[in-house]
Amino acid sequence: MESIIKTLSDAIYFNLIREQRYVLFISGLGISLQLTLYSALLGTLIGLFLALAKLGRVKWLEGLVTAYVDIIRGTPAVVQLVLIYYAILGSSSLPKIAVASIAFGLNSGAYVCELIRAGIMAVDKGQMEAARSLGFSYARSMIYIIIPQAIKNILPALGNEFIVLLKETAIAGYIALDDLTRAGDIVRGRTFDAYTPFILVAIIYLLITSILTRLMGGLERRLHASD
Amino acid sequence: MPVIEVVDLHKSFGELRVLKGLNTRINKQEVVCVIGASGSGKSTFLRCLNLLEEPTAGEIYIEGIPLMEHRKDINRLRQRVGMVFQLFNLFPHMTVLDNITLAPMKLKGMTKSKAEEKARDLLDKVGLPDKNNEYPNRLSGGQKQRVAIARALAMDPQIMLFDEPTSSLDPEMVGEVLNVMKDLAKEGMTMVVVTHEMGFAKEVGDRIMFMDEGIIFEEGSPQELFNSPQRDRTKEFLGKVL
Repeated sequence: MESIIKTLSDAIYFNLIREQRYVLFISGLGISLQLTLYSALLGTLIGLFLALAKLGRVKWLEGLVTAYVDIIRGTPAVVQLVLIYYAILGSSSLPKIAVASIAFGLNSGAYVCELIRAGIMAVDKGQMEAARSLGFSYARSMIYIIIPQAIKNILPALGNEFIVLLKETAIAGYIALDDLTRAGDIVRGRTFDAYTPFILVAIIYLLITSILTRLMGGLERRLHASD
Repeated sequence: MPVIEVVDLHKSFGELRVLKGLNTRINKQEVVCVIGASGSGKSTFLRCLNLLEEPTAGEIYIEGIPLMEHRKDINRLRQRVGMVFQLFNLFPHMTVLDNITLAPMKLKGMTKSKAEEKARDLLDKVGLPDKNNEYPNRLSGGQKQRVAIARALAMDPQIMLFDEPTSSLDPEMVGEVLNVMKDLAKEGMTMVVVTHEMGFAKEVGDRIMFMDEGIIFEEGSPQELFNSPQRDRTKEFLGKVL
């Protein structure tokens, strides 16, 4: 018993306390959260535009969006990140976190596009007809009638997408961004202990995703007040 | 001048020709009931009257204005033609009151208090004075359809279109909706009603249109059509439904 406690306290000492290694985890978490926030915002914006472009009646625009979504969904995110970093944005003077946010935002946008499109299409088509029959234009029918109902369909899936995004940012280390996962890797390199830092990292991710899941649940319940 | 005039109306869905050259005139304050087998094109005909379906060919005049020619103004023209749907299509994210006040406020610039006063009057009229703040999902089918009628009336339409307004109701709720429609007819509203309620058509209709093969196959006063139909197809249909 005593030896277990000794092993545990040693592990925590070497991986967290010594050389103030806990700072690495904290700043890593900060980077991961920032990256998630920026990419989520950018992704939602891109996704909204793509969805509206796809729902509009311009054929070539629709084809372009479909191609974009297919490319993003058909290739690994880590490949997209590295390509965007080295080939496209590596030569500019943008900070790494901005480059990564753009890469993750472009990636997430493709998924969000499909979420929003599906959410809008799921609204009964009689709703559009009723609005149009009263004399509302297509755009105003969307604004007053369709989108408010679509949001109820979209928000749960969008919250889920943000949670996925948080975990997805774990590959940011590929472009040498010191996020939470990379903090674990740095500590592992120093202590030669693979378990403690990564179990710690896993616990932190789990904690954050649990909190986000709870928040989404609460929001969803409030949205369904009229049902 | 007729309120509605339909000239050689054609509508195809791809290869399927639903309307094949339909002509009619509907006068002010007339109540026209459209009957016929399912697939005979009666709903398509009704939906063409406010361009929810785009006709393939032909012209529709509403109060003398050719719709096809004035497609750009369709949103304004639709304000004069109210529509009631088989599946109600109330806005589920809004209260009953908001369902009714939305269009007059947003499209006619009516003030909130004015629109609400009007909505309350209309709810009284359709027999639902105490449902202002309910959401549609808490209403019965018959109540929903009466709210839908009030919503359409809030725009002060000159014409009301009814697309099988009682077809998705439980039998015990059909009467309450038909009664509201009867009152409306008595007040002199011009109405086009696609319906399977032959009793209502007989009692309230000024004219019955029997549709078949994508045209108005036979029409006349309820007495003429129901008591002495001239054509075999009409007789056959009435034999099945009466």
